[in-house]
Amino acid sequence: MSISHTDIGDDLRKIVISGRLDLTGTKSVAGELEKLAAAPKKGVVVDVSSLKFLASLGIRALLKSAKAVEERGGRMVLVVGTNSQVVMSLEATGVSNVLPMFKSSGEAERVAVA
Amino acid sequence: MHNGINTDKQVETLAIAASGEEIRRASEWLTSALRQRDVPDPQVECLELALHEVLANVLAHGGSAARIEPIRICIEVREKATTGEARVKVRDAGIPFDPTGAPEHTPAKTLAEAPIGGLGLPLIRRCSDWMSYRREGGRNHFVFGTRWPKL
Repeated sequence: MSISHTDIGDDLRKIVISGRLDLTGTKSVAGELEKLAAAPKKGVVVDVSSLKFLASLGIRALLKSAKAVEERGGRMVLVVGTNSQVVMSLEATGVSNVLPMFKSSGEAERVAVA
Repeated sequence: MHNGINTDKQVETLAIAASGEEIRRASEWLTSALRQRDVPDPQVECLELALHEVLANVLAHGGSAARIEPIRICIEVREKATTGEARVKVRDAGIPFDPTGAPEHTPAKTLAEAPIGGLGLPLIRRCSDWMSYRREGGRNHFVFGTRWPKL
């Protein structure tokens, strides 16, 4: 399980999470995700395209951060690449309707700061 | 914890304690057992996710009784002429809970109104072609499964 980030200019933060967002994995990164998403950036892109597993607790952590970003006037979006398991989890829970997801980083970054 | 293979090669059982580490062990066991039985990858992924959600629910909502006794999991793979079928049975001593009777999840329209909880059941439903539940002998017996066409 790993989480890292890169700041792109003043407005955008990109966070990459890899591994398994199951119960154990989510517990190990949820605090860090919350902290990283709380940075005063206009846009936050979370790349989950290399996740091997995305359970409801992981989705919950993503939603919690997205809500915090929105509450301070920013926007959080996801990069899912071609990860069908991640897409299925987000669609089955209806989260894909409220948390925009993109195949490519470039598109996600543009929308996050638009 | 007990971990045994039935003489029928298509049935396998596992007993785990109620903890996050044990849930991960159950995931690994399930995927390995299903792949050994040539269950297709999409069905393996779905059953793994559904099992994780079922076990996470037991851990979160099953109360102290769920933590005292092992949670028992049994998988069964059946081959028919035109279809394959895999079912997973989970038995726990936690607080009675019937996932089949829970209300359908209504997706939120905005991020602000999206609930951050209650997302496990939609995943179980999405990943299962059928589900059944009964309370017997002081235990929850939940069964879910999936089938696929044989080429």
